[in-house]
Amino acid sequence: MNRLQGKDFINIGIFTAIYFVIIFAVGMIGFIPIFIPLISVLVPLIGGIPMMLYFSKIKKFGMLTITGVLVGLLMLLTGMGYWCIFTGFLFGLIADFMLKAANYKKAWSEILTYGVYSVWTVGAFIPIIVTRDAYYEKLLSGFGQEYADTLMGYMPDWILPVLAIACFVSGIAGGVIGRKIFKKHFERAGIV
Amino acid sequence: MKQELLLSQKKEVGLNLDPRTKLALLVAMAVFILTGAYQTPMHYILAAVPFILLIMAHKWGNALLYALLFCGGLSLEQFALPHLSGVPGYLIVAAANILLHFLPGIVMGYFVVTTTTVSEFVAAMERLHLPKQITIPMSVMFRFFPTVMEEWGAIGDAMHMRGIKWRGSKASVMLEYRLVPMMMCSVKIGEELSAASLTRGLGGPVKRTNICKIGFHIQDILLLLLCLSILAAQIFSVFGGLNL
Repeated sequence: MNRLQGKDFINIGIFTAIYFVIIFAVGMIGFIPIFIPLISVLVPLIGGIPMMLYFSKIKKFGMLTITGVLVGLLMLLTGMGYWCIFTGFLFGLIADFMLKAANYKKAWSEILTYGVYSVWTVGAFIPIIVTRDAYYEKLLSGFGQEYADTLMGYMPDWILPVLAIACFVSGIAGGVIGRKIFKKHFERAGIV
Repeated sequence: MKQELLLSQKKEVGLNLDPRTKLALLVAMAVFILTGAYQTPMHYILAAVPFILLIMAHKWGNALLYALLFCGGLSLEQFALPHLSGVPGYLIVAAANILLHFLPGIVMGYFVVTTTTVSEFVAAMERLHLPKQITIPMSVMFRFFPTVMEEWGAIGDAMHMRGIKWRGSKASVMLEYRLVPMMMCSVKIGEELSAASLTRGLGGPVKRTNICKIGFHIQDILLLLLCLSILAAQIFSVFGGLNL
């Protein structure tokens, strides 16, 4: 019974909704230019809490890929650009392979996988770096000279891999925290 | 009762649009307005579309509010920006910019969501031949978002009642107090949702039937042409500097 069934799809929908609401709230700090790079830390960190619960329920291949694509789509609809669809798909797929390799059992494999999965967040920064000039133009016309210069000053070209690493590390941290909360509350309440 | 995202029953009012058109408009808003600047007059036309749609759906109050906010943001950007600088200038600019960029998308989303039923949404996605791996989670998600928000509010109220506020304690503890109960409630509700949907045959082996009237009419074609022309205008302004 390894193909995804209706029940699995519903689970995907539920947890993607919870995850997205939480990271969207966290991502709102991106309105302040200084905090935009911080998104790469806060989103994986706090997103770990719902995600570790989700991970413990994943027993079939493909659930994370779909989650990644859906979150990417939602990112597009809320103004973070379309790159997140690709990063969501890519890292969701890698995460799916990792969980399958660990046979959906060990807790530390879940933490590691979540760290890798969290790297999808860099997709939100790619438009800033890759299409730097176009983005600068947009900032200029919309926000004015000061904002545009400040933001560009914080994000030199080499920062993309740095952000990716930050996502991964924060993901691990988020996974650890999520796991602790998971053991403390959810196992006791029987939601597992 | 809180407003449902994606209705379960439909009120026949105003313009009847195919859900796929509404989705196309939503994507157009997201791609051209949310992530771009107002480069051509076509963008302003696109921003006016939610206003017209709201009027036709007889939602006068919301339409008026949208128009006021949008024009307010516009005038702020045009007139205030050159004169102010420094912190107040920046704040006003940020506010105006947020208004102009996010408002059309939000209002369009509001329109789509309050005039489409879950059935229509799923039927439209099936017509688009999207795999059910995507459509089922998507409809569950949309059905679920307001539930999550409601739980969040309820937990907030419960915390208030016990005198636990946002300030004073460590942020991490606050997070735990808020997130964990919300997730527990949501998961339990999710399981009930799951049972209800499976009982209604979601995800069954047979092709799903529905009695929604979906099809393209003249208004859909007009709006879709509008989206295409925005796309064309965007491409022109990038390649040629043609002033449309």
